[in-house]
Amino acid sequence: MSEHQPNFLIRLWRSLRAFLRGIDQAQRERVVALTAYEARELENMFVLMLLGSFAGMPSPPSFLAVELLPHLEHEIRVLNRRAESSTDALAEIMGTIDADA
Amino acid sequence: MSSIIVVVGIVVYIALYFLYGKRLETNVVKANNDIETPASRLYDGVDYVPAKTPVLFGHHFASVAGAAPIIGPVIAMAWGWLPALAWIWFGNIFVGAVHDYLAIMASVRYDGKSIQFVASDLITKRTGKLFYWLVFLILVLIVGAFGAVLGNMFVGDPSVPSSYLLMLVAGLILGVLIYRVKMNFTLATIIGVVMLIAAIFGGIAMPITAPKSVWFAIMFFYIIIAAAIPVNVLLQPRDYLNSWLLYVGLAIGALAALSSGVQFSAPAFTSFAPIVSGGKPSPFWPVIPLIVACGSLSGFHSLVGSGTTSKQLDKESSGLTIGYGGMLFEGFLSTIVVVAVAGYGLGLLVNAGQDISAANWGQQYLAASGAAGISGAGMFTAAYAEMVASTWLRFLPGAFVKTIAGMWVASFAMTTLDTTNRLARYTLAEIALPLKDKSEGAYNFLTNRWIASAIPAALGIYLAWSGTFSILWPSFGAGNQLIASIALLTGTAWVAKRLKTKATMALIPAYLLWITVTAAILWHMFVVVLPAIQSNAVTNTVVFIIEAVMFILNVVFIIDFVKTRNEPAPEASEA
Amino acid sequence: MKTIFFTGKGGVGKSTLSAAAAWQLAESGKRVLAISFDPAHNLGDIFGRTLGHKVTRFSANLDLRETDLDEAAAEYIRRNTSILTEVYSYTKAFNLDRYFKVLRHSPGVEEYAALTALEDLLRTSDDYDVVVIDTPPTGLTLRILALPRISITWVDRLRRIRRDILDKRHTVHSITGTFSEEGQKLAYEEKDDRVMQKLTELFDRYVAVARHLESDANRVAVVFNPDYLSLRESQRILDGLSDLNLGVNVAFNNKYTQGLSEIADSMERELFDGRDAPPPVHRIPWEPYRREKSYEISYDLTQLFAL
Repeated sequence: MSEHQPNFLIRLWRSLRAFLRGIDQAQRERVVALTAYEARELENMFVLMLLGSFAGMPSPPSFLAVELLPHLEHEIRVLNRRAESSTDALAEIMGTIDADA
Repeated sequence: MSSIIVVVGIVVYIALYFLYGKRLETNVVKANNDIETPASRLYDGVDYVPAKTPVLFGHHFASVAGAAPIIGPVIAMAWGWLPALAWIWFGNIFVGAVHDYLAIMASVRYDGKSIQFVASDLITKRTGKLFYWLVFLILVLIVGAFGAVLGNMFVGDPSVPSSYLLMLVAGLILGVLIYRVKMNFTLATIIGVVMLIAAIFGGIAMPITAPKSVWFAIMFFYIIIAAAIPVNVLLQPRDYLNSWLLYVGLAIGALAALSSGVQFSAPAFTSFAPIVSGGKPSPFWPVIPLIVACGSLSGFHSLVGSGTTSKQLDKESSGLTIGYGGMLFEGFLSTIVVVAVAGYGLGLLVNAGQDISAANWGQQYLAASGAAGISGAGMFTAAYAEMVASTWLRFLPGAFVKTIAGMWVASFAMTTLDTTNRLARYTLAEIALPLKDKSEGAYNFLTNRWIASAIPAALGIYLAWSGTFSILWPSFGAGNQLIASIALLTGTAWVAKRLKTKATMALIPAYLLWITVTAAILWHMFVVVLPAIQSNAVTNTVVFIIEAVMFILNVVFIIDFVKTRNEPAPEASEA
Repeated sequence: MKTIFFTGKGGVGKSTLSAAAAWQLAESGKRVLAISFDPAHNLGDIFGRTLGHKVTRFSANLDLRETDLDEAAAEYIRRNTSILTEVYSYTKAFNLDRYFKVLRHSPGVEEYAALTALEDLLRTSDDYDVVVIDTPPTGLTLRILALPRISITWVDRLRRIRRDILDKRHTVHSITGTFSEEGQKLAYEEKDDRVMQKLTELFDRYVAVARHLESDANRVAVVFNPDYLSLRESQRILDGLSDLNLGVNVAFNNKYTQGLSEIADSMERELFDGRDAPPPVHRIPWEPYRREKSYEISYDLTQLFAL
């Protein structure tokens, strides 16, 4: 009998802590969600500007792209992913800025 | 009585979550945790990130929460509390939550692509394009409807606008603390919450009285400016404060509703067609979905859910908890609203000198609320405050509770105004795209960021200013539910064509919904709006035209849907 | 170390004059390097030596070099292709492999190779008092001279965006912890970001070159002939240099004879009237081409550059 009570209280305390931690994490994510989104869009723009010369857009001299390209693996991945999802942006925007009534 | 209803509501939701929702999951969607979700398969650290279910639930719920789950039920009380609850409970369980759930799961199986994409894949490309038009038109109506709500509330309770103004300042400060100073987050949160409480007390101490026209003008400029400044400055920190407002307001409301035990003074049922919209007798069917959207069924949820939530699902079985369960939770919120108004509404109106009783409730409820200056949000905040004051929570000062409730509605409504403006700029650009080749001048004009911002803002504020709230609100509801019926029918197309399941659980609500919404729009256009053009020509003509366009789009949709109904799904567009 | 750029249309005697100036300055006691970027290899012919990338000692004070821009471009491409095929597997990089063979001819590579060569030159020539540079044809020269400024503008723009990105990543990191993608941590501090470091390195390099070109350590000479054939292009050169904010320090009306004085007058008027700070014009008398020592001319050039 005396074994049950501490277990229950400890479990309750643990779930309460987990709940609070969950809220903390959720709130932290909320507060930087748009910042992360913006950072990603800037990465996309950065590499687009750079590679524009390869696609005939006004852009920096092509050698800049060649110099920087080896370090832009992540950004190129972003470029490809954004290019795919650019045609399906409506819902994504609504979700990102919480556009609901 | 109220506590009993709340408990019944909770029990109904939970029971049917397991009895009905689980069946939907197992028999129709066949959710399978062995299938890797796009969150992990397509992980990118920003959109595609698996989130723990409770965290995602919180995100999703906060995203879809707004002012509508509060305003709608307040108006729906005209039919009596029983029909209102019936729709909030069963409309939600059998239609609304199903709609949210199917949209999310279809999206999950489509690599996280939106319901709009699914529609253009399974129905026609044109169907996908419809969304831009519908969303844009709805955004104008939202500004009209919510602008009117805010206009009424700011005039009826002058401590709310000043509290909100102080909250904006708090948001700006919080933004600097979090993003520039990079203060410790917990500390910043505490400061933020303290500032929020100070804003509420400050607003009570220094109310701002101004005529409605002034508020509308301020709203217009607010929309344009707030939608133009970087998100770190205002939007993000303000939304963060909003989320605290939501949790606290919901917690207080739930506790109060459970412990208040007040008898319902409002009638359970008034008549099938009491006065609701535009002073006309409004039949419960088909009009109720236009009145109570979020809280029972809302088309926007399908877009929000398939826009971000589906990309963050860590396993397929979480879809039910978050999509279906999240909608039920919002229904719970609306239940609390009904309970508060049912318990205290009559008393409030009588105290304000209105000639109203359970007998003439159907005819007089909305008129009396308007005359007493406590319609819409005002009724909610007053009833909410009464409800809290009648329980053990009465240690909280009355004005404070009332202003919290007012702020809850105001901050969500104001947020909706400027986020929808950002959205309107995007949808307008997409709508104007075909113009690019034909008339570049017109295209550049429409896509100029200030013009694209000003047009929907101006139209919307104009409607709010000159229009009738009881006409505007259902027209916004109509647009929202049109999207819902398109999304739900798309969901059934997904079930039929991709899952190859015959699913009456999805089909029947989908068809019934489409018929209901179509009938409702027609009713609203010809019974309410058209006759009202006589008394308020320009405004109601604009509303009529908007609804007519939406109706035509609806017809185009159903034609495309029926035509492609028996076509097999196209090859290889999903995982 | 001072530089003197000899610019002018091909055939006006630019290479001869630059060789002459180099020779005279060396004889007057200065340590001189004469270098040619002109693909026509005139410098080697004038000094009677086969010149290459490596320095050829001509006399106690005079060193000679020639830079083959085509070769430099090919080498540049080769170097970068190897970097890239190291980093990217064949399938991932939009067929970069195939693309890079084409790159050699794409606009910009030649200029970039020349810019790199110019940079190298400026960096490694501190032992010399004067570096005399025989430039390639006008178009290329103007593009090369413009490149540092253009690059600076672009690099600066890119740096600003990059800084923004890093700042936002830092914000996300400070609130939610690491900002990582596929197990690879993304940098959020400038000191950890290789892209930012590269951008800063490029920025500093281009600023150094631009600064030198616009400084008092640089001289630009324009060479033309007293015949209307060289008028248009000489005007283009002057216009181009003025767009780049590079002044012309001295002008040479080369292959002048008494009989051409009217044309010479009218040309000098057309070229320099109405311009800000018109340079002094020196009429270099025509001399028959000598097979040996054609770098020796009778006109004294040593005092003309205000060194």
